[in-house]
Amino acid sequence: MIRHECLELLAARMTDQLVVTSQSGQRIEWSHLSKHEGNLLIGMMGCAIGVGMGLALALPHRKVIVLDSDGSVLLSLFNLATLGNLRPKNLVIYVFDNGVYSGSRISYPTATSGNTDLEAMARGAGIKNAHTIRNVEEFKEKGVEALARDELAFFVCKVEESLMHREIPRPSTDLAENKYTFVRYLERTEGKPIRFIGRG
Amino acid sequence: MKDELAKRIVQSLKEAGIDFVTYLPETRLSQIIPLIRDDPGMELIAAASEQEAVTIAAGATLGGKQAAVYMENTGIYVSCYSLLAIGKQLGVPLLLVVGFLGGVPDQRNSFLYATIGKHTIPVLEGLGIEYLVLEDSEKLEIKVQDAVRAMNALRAPFALLFAGEFSI
Repeated sequence: MIRHECLELLAARMTDQLVVTSQSGQRIEWSHLSKHEGNLLIGMMGCAIGVGMGLALALPHRKVIVLDSDGSVLLSLFNLATLGNLRPKNLVIYVFDNGVYSGSRISYPTATSGNTDLEAMARGAGIKNAHTIRNVEEFKEKGVEALARDELAFFVCKVEESLMHREIPRPSTDLAENKYTFVRYLERTEGKPIRFIGRG
Repeated sequence: MKDELAKRIVQSLKEAGIDFVTYLPETRLSQIIPLIRDDPGMELIAAASEQEAVTIAAGATLGGKQAAVYMENTGIYVSCYSLLAIGKQLGVPLLLVVGFLGGVPDQRNSFLYATIGKHTIPVLEGLGIEYLVLEDSEKLEIKVQDAVRAMNALRAPFALLFAGEFSI
C-alpha cells in the first residue's frame, strides 16, 4: 500500500470536512489531490494533531481529519495522552507510517521501523479506537468507514516508502494565504465571523 | 496570589473575549484553574506539554474561538517550536498567560528559578513575541484587553508575564 492510494480514497469522500496535514509527503500529495477550501496545510512536523484537536473541540459538529506521519507523531507523542483523555468524537487521524524520514532525502529509519508500535502506544494512552491498517482493502473497510462514525479514530497506516511527493508539483500556496482561505471557508459554512479577522 | 486577584484575572480574560484556555498547571497563578473550569462561558483543556497547548489553542482560534494558553515561563522554552511554527509563521493570535518565575519581580525567586527567569524575556524577544510584565493589579483589566486587541491586530501570540503581587 502506498499513501497516495489511501489519499485518493479519502479525497473522493470530501464534502465539508476540515483536513489538517503535517509536513511533508502527505501535505504535498493531499494538496495535489484536493483543492478543498477546508484544507489546512501545516508546514511543519509535530503540530497537525494539536491543531486538529483544537479545531475538533471548537467545532464539535464538524468532522476533522488529520493526515500525519510516523516521524511527525514521534515528534509529538504527548498528543496521544491528550487524545486518549479528551477523545473528541469528531476527529479521525491517519498516520501514514512508512518507517522512514522520507523528507530527509536519505530515508533514514524512524523508530517504527524498529521496535516501536504506534497503535500500541495510542491504545496505552487511552485511544480505544486505534488500529493498524496494512492494505488498501482494510483502508477502505476501516479507514474510510470511520468518516461516517461519531468516534475518535486513530489509524496507523503501514505504507511503503513512495517518492511520489518528490515528483508531483509542490503547493505554492503561502501559509497565510491558506489560513485565510480556510477561515473564510469556515466563516461562510459556519455563518459566523472568525473573531481575530476584525475590522480594517 | 490572593483569591481576589485570581477572580480578577479570570474576569478580565472573560471580558476580553477569551473563551478557550489550554494549560499546564504551575504554582503562581494556579487559583485561576478551578475558576475557569467552573465558568460555563469558558472551555478549559488540559494539555500534556506546552508545545501541545499552543497547537490546540491555535486550532481552536482558527475554528472561531478566542484562545489563551496558561503556562509557567518554563513552558515558553518548551513551546518555542510551536509558537514559531504555528503562532508566528501561520499567524495565529494567542494570549499567553504566563506565571513569570525567577524574574527580578518574582516574590518567590530562588536559585531554583533565577536562570529560568533570566532568559524568558530574551527568548520572547528572539521569537518576536510582544509581552507585558504585570507586577501589580493596577489597570489589570485594561492590560488584558490591550493584550487581546494587540494579539488580534498582530495575528500573533502575545505574552502576559505575571510576577510581583501575582507571585506572592
